[in-house]
Amino acid sequence: MLTIALPKGALLKDSIRLFQSVGLDFSGFLDSANRQLQIPAVTGQAQALLVRAQDVPVYVEYGQAQLGIVGYDVLQEKQPDVAQLADLGFGHCRMSVAVKADSPYRSALDFPPHSRVASKFVNCARDYFQGLDLPVELVPLYGSVELGPITGMSEAIVDLVSTGRTLKENNLVELDVLYQSTARLIAHPISYRIGADDIGVWIEKLRSQALAAVR
Amino acid sequence: MIYHPPSGSRDLLPLDVAQKHWIEERLEQVFQGWGYHRIITSTVERLDTLMAGGAIEPSTVIQLQNAGGQSLGLRPELTASIARAAVTRMAEVCYPQRLSYVANVFRHDAKGSQGGQQEYYQAGVELLGTTGVMADTEVVFLLLDCLNNLQLTGTDVLLGDAGLTHSLLEVFPVEMQATVRDAIARLDRVQLETLSLSPELLERALRLMDLRGQPKDVLQRVSQLDLSPQQQAIVHGLKTLIEILPAATEAPKVTLDLSLIQPFDYYTGIIFKVVADTPQGRQVVGQGGRYDNLLGVFHPQHQSYPGIGFMLNVESLHQALLPTGHLPDRTPPSDWLVVAKTPAAAAAAFTYAQRIREQGSQVRVELHLDPEATPDTIRELAQTRQIPHIAWVAEDGTPQVETVN
Repeated sequence: MLTIALPKGALLKDSIRLFQSVGLDFSGFLDSANRQLQIPAVTGQAQALLVRAQDVPVYVEYGQAQLGIVGYDVLQEKQPDVAQLADLGFGHCRMSVAVKADSPYRSALDFPPHSRVASKFVNCARDYFQGLDLPVELVPLYGSVELGPITGMSEAIVDLVSTGRTLKENNLVELDVLYQSTARLIAHPISYRIGADDIGVWIEKLRSQALAAVR
Repeated sequence: MIYHPPSGSRDLLPLDVAQKHWIEERLEQVFQGWGYHRIITSTVERLDTLMAGGAIEPSTVIQLQNAGGQSLGLRPELTASIARAAVTRMAEVCYPQRLSYVANVFRHDAKGSQGGQQEYYQAGVELLGTTGVMADTEVVFLLLDCLNNLQLTGTDVLLGDAGLTHSLLEVFPVEMQATVRDAIARLDRVQLETLSLSPELLERALRLMDLRGQPKDVLQRVSQLDLSPQQQAIVHGLKTLIEILPAATEAPKVTLDLSLIQPFDYYTGIIFKVVADTPQGRQVVGQGGRYDNLLGVFHPQHQSYPGIGFMLNVESLHQALLPTGHLPDRTPPSDWLVVAKTPAAAAAAFTYAQRIREQGSQVRVELHLDPEATPDTIRELAQTRQIPHIAWVAEDGTPQVETVN
């Protein structure tokens, strides 16, 4: 049976709406009383797994899920071996460099060498600063990255920004954008190639729904 | 202090070995049945030999320190080694050369979230010195025969043609070819859609990425592209191959996939992958293809010879075969337990045991070693170990045979 990995968090609602629009109902995951991590679509044609966003490409890469929805940011960070089949057009955000509002720096290029940069996205941050040929010391954190500059542990952060409110409330300003991110439809490459479980039909339906929603 | 094996390596205990042998024996039967001869090459190769084909990333090779200053590595696959070993003797041997192997290979798997394992077992063949649809067909049929002899059903075969796909990429501007190829190889449709290409070329790139499905449909779709005579010849070859294929019984489903390329490889003609559904997920259990330029890399005068081959991954086959129940579920029990009735009968027991061993082929005879055990304990032992016969041997050599199971 077709198995789909859905991300907990910000992308879940839109993901469930997208699958509903092609006739696969996983809205059970939105019920606050739900504790199940694996639910079948009512029609019995597919099932969904509810996993952390970072784990979506893992399930898809190992082929336990043939399809998944995940942010481009996670794909950039983890570089998984998965097929990227569609930009779904929701979950807009950007990966940005931010500093304290009273910082003298107006661009990452102004940072002195060996500045400290805190991030949950260490690979993205490393690639970005390597691209600038600017050596920095990366401080890996798992959350509340904004505290890095506030406490003085780091000069800057690299983090996802959607509205910018969190940055503003913590008195930080955004300097440079590494990339824009949206939700992506990903697939297990081998399952996609052999067309297992009618995967191609579902992908076409999802793509056309996603395109229709953007227009 | 507890001694662990290094991470990424594993020990195979007797049952694992029995199951591995079950697989390897069946593969070797097929290889021999098709006239292939086994070759054994060195586990350690010079790094430049391993890299010469251009398909191996240095970071995936486990490198060795060598006092002579040579860079050495453990082989991550066999084709380069076999090409090196065979090509210098190509002038003296008859064509074609049919070679097979069963060997361990070593790899650091650094990419993505998969990996960890470092040592793998592979079995495969190389058919050297011959080209054409007949040779391609032989190797594909041989592969199907291997799956058949393993009684592995429900597999899928992905078939592509690296030569055709590469030549279809030539319509793109030279500076874009690598990017387009890479995006198609990684199935990154989103990247492909955002490349700065003219609408016609973009449409062409997306069509190329979607050239996959039922062989007949795909051949029809590819024929609609305006093809050079050379490309038409390749398409014709694929058509011939596919028409011969379904004759095989219980054949796996074949998907023709002309987007099946790798960012770096040495394949020049047909390529294929075998996919099996295992409890650990759907995975590639074997792959191969035609490489008509690789042997020339190793030839002293760079004289090239065509080649085609495939390898099967024994671990993946093992995972795919476990649920089928065909693999042995225990190590074979002994056929005889020989017991010396008294300590003085020891010599007679050894003599008798040897006599049984010499009577039949593959008779397993073990001696009972504990002179203190009572007959009842010995019977119980034979029963739990599923040994069918006990021979109680007296000092004068007369055996008393008892059937237990």
